[in-house]
Amino acid sequence: MMGRRRSGAARRRRIRPLKRASPAVAVRIATSRRIAGRTLFYFLLSAAAFIAFIPFLYMAANSLKTLGETITRVSADPFSPQFWPTVPQWHNFVQALRDENMGHYLLNSLIISMTTVAGVLVTSSLAAYAFARLRFAGSRLIFSVLLATLMIPDTVLLIPNFLVVARLGWLNRLPALTVPFMGSAFFIFLLRQFFKQIPASLIESARMEGASNLRVLVQIVVPLSGAPLFTAGFLVFSDSWNALQWPLVVTQTDRWRPIAVGLAKFISEAGPYTQLRMAGAIIALLPTVVLFVAAQRQITEAIASTGIKS
Amino acid sequence: MRSGGLSRRIKENLEGYAFIAPAVGLIGLFSVFPIFFTGYISLFRWRIRRGDFVGLSNYLVAFGTWGNLAILAAGLVLIYLALRLLRTGPTGARAARVTVGAAALTGGIALAIVALAGVMRTGDTDLLTSLRVTVWYSLGTVPAQLALGLALAVLLNRKFRGRQTYRVLFLIPYIVPTVAAAAVFERIFSLRPEALANQVAALFALRPLQWLYEPRGIFQLLFGFDARISAGTIAVGSSGVGIVAWVLAYLRSWAVGPSLALVAVGLFNWWVFVGYYALIFLNGLSQIPKQIYDAAEVDGAGRFMILRKIILPLVSPSTYFLTLIGVIGTFKAFNHIYILRTAAAQGTVDPMSVYLFFTFFHQARFGYASAVAVLLFLIVLGLTLLQRRLMERRTFYGE
Repeated sequence: MMGRRRSGAARRRRIRPLKRASPAVAVRIATSRRIAGRTLFYFLLSAAAFIAFIPFLYMAANSLKTLGETITRVSADPFSPQFWPTVPQWHNFVQALRDENMGHYLLNSLIISMTTVAGVLVTSSLAAYAFARLRFAGSRLIFSVLLATLMIPDTVLLIPNFLVVARLGWLNRLPALTVPFMGSAFFIFLLRQFFKQIPASLIESARMEGASNLRVLVQIVVPLSGAPLFTAGFLVFSDSWNALQWPLVVTQTDRWRPIAVGLAKFISEAGPYTQLRMAGAIIALLPTVVLFVAAQRQITEAIASTGIKS
Repeated sequence: MRSGGLSRRIKENLEGYAFIAPAVGLIGLFSVFPIFFTGYISLFRWRIRRGDFVGLSNYLVAFGTWGNLAILAAGLVLIYLALRLLRTGPTGARAARVTVGAAALTGGIALAIVALAGVMRTGDTDLLTSLRVTVWYSLGTVPAQLALGLALAVLLNRKFRGRQTYRVLFLIPYIVPTVAAAAVFERIFSLRPEALANQVAALFALRPLQWLYEPRGIFQLLFGFDARISAGTIAVGSSGVGIVAWVLAYLRSWAVGPSLALVAVGLFNWWVFVGYYALIFLNGLSQIPKQIYDAAEVDGAGRFMILRKIILPLVSPSTYFLTLIGVIGTFKAFNHIYILRTAAAQGTVDPMSVYLFFTFFHQARFGYASAVAVLLFLIVLGLTLLQRRLMERRTFYGE
């Protein structure tokens, strides 16, 4: 039975090409099919890229219109001149930065995000080194408890953390926006994976010569880990820049309000000024996008691979 | 010699603790301790300052009566047992097991519906609405994003010029700060006829829609069966059979479907995440050797067969990961909804996280909001465990 079935399959496979028309015609059919497939492929890809990009074009076009143009000069087609302003109104950006305080919020966000990045990189490198290289009692247990904290939705932590930060007297001050985010299980995990790959012999020989663990970390491990540290830094920066819920709760004055809160406030208060909202949105997204484009390949790889690892 | 080794080991231990101390201290204070503190707060009447100890009565406000909670718990246990019964190995009388399992499943679902109908009548209706919004939001985003993401990944997996550029390009919606992207979609989905979404709608000969300002469900808008159902509810309600009327009222709240406003929020979610999903899938796809496709083609496998028998099993770890973070993501969703929600949508786009935020921050009901936080935490924990059990056995991690 088995033998018969197998030979049947083999026969079918052998016969199939013969059933087709002459070789020349077959080649022509295959070529035209490949061209059709290729056309469809580029059509689908362009359509997807168009959908992904049209909101940005809309944002750019409307940030440069006059208030009147945002209502009267409209089109769904970015190839039509109606989509774009007649004369670009660059002063919209000046107005958003100065009159709507976006410049102040932007500076706040830069300080908040940089401080957080520095904090996360220091605490995570130290902990990652310990979990990758040092042997101490309970390290596996502590590590898995840390990883479990990744599942907790932030919203659940909002109320108790607000009470803690208020008790510490941090409301409306910089530490409220940075310190709670300086410890992160995710980045400890990420860096630990990398630190483990550094050859043990390198570290052992340095230790033999009497270098302390801290010195090994600073002078050997960190210089070898430029790429993962940069990636971690970018992801922390982007998270911190993006944060809205927590800053809404802990900043009741403009002093340390970050740009996400500033923009959200502006949107709910700006009334019909579409052009200023879009200018504000562009100002808010520019730093992250510039960083991303500058190191796109590396960040893309990192995001792709963390997806699999976690 | 021995004492030297011992002291060195002690030193290494101490050094280890010193190295992890900053991170562990911060995570302990701001992520672990708050879990217990939330539970503590939920036992008090707490409006900005701590008030009286009220025991579990904040939870009673959510559920209405303890009877509702008991029926809900019974229903969930029954559903769990039914699923276990239906899944166990091929031993024993199969037909009998399936019959009993199906009956238990139906009974469990019925009990849960009765309990939730009771909550809608006596408990916190807004909380129940936010839970329904969360479920619709998950159902409307995660499967579609998986399908579109996989399709895009299959396209990007081919070799063509500019492949890397496209990969980066599709990731930009995910990278952009959420508030800024949502600010654009808030304009795109505005109710004015010149808004971009309404211009596109006009291409399909549709009248301008209300989008983010539309609280009515899409099934209601599409089929207009609302009036008929309401009439039926009133007829049964006046017939005096109370419990039937509540259950019908509860089922009706589902039957109208997600609001058009929530659909608009969901479309924003697609726009943000499809490129990211594609990137994760691409990582899985690129690990499938080309010979496997060739072998399949030689064996006469069609495209659908290749998708079902090769691609889907081999990307299943990515599917599992994306489903998990996608569903948990709907319980965390905040930034874009804060920007896109309108008063006119009447809370039909507010999932649990947003409802919790407003209860805490605008109404200053710290105690009750903490009780909601505990429930949210339990739901996320339950879903994570359930998903792990359901999907691990179907996931192919390679030999």
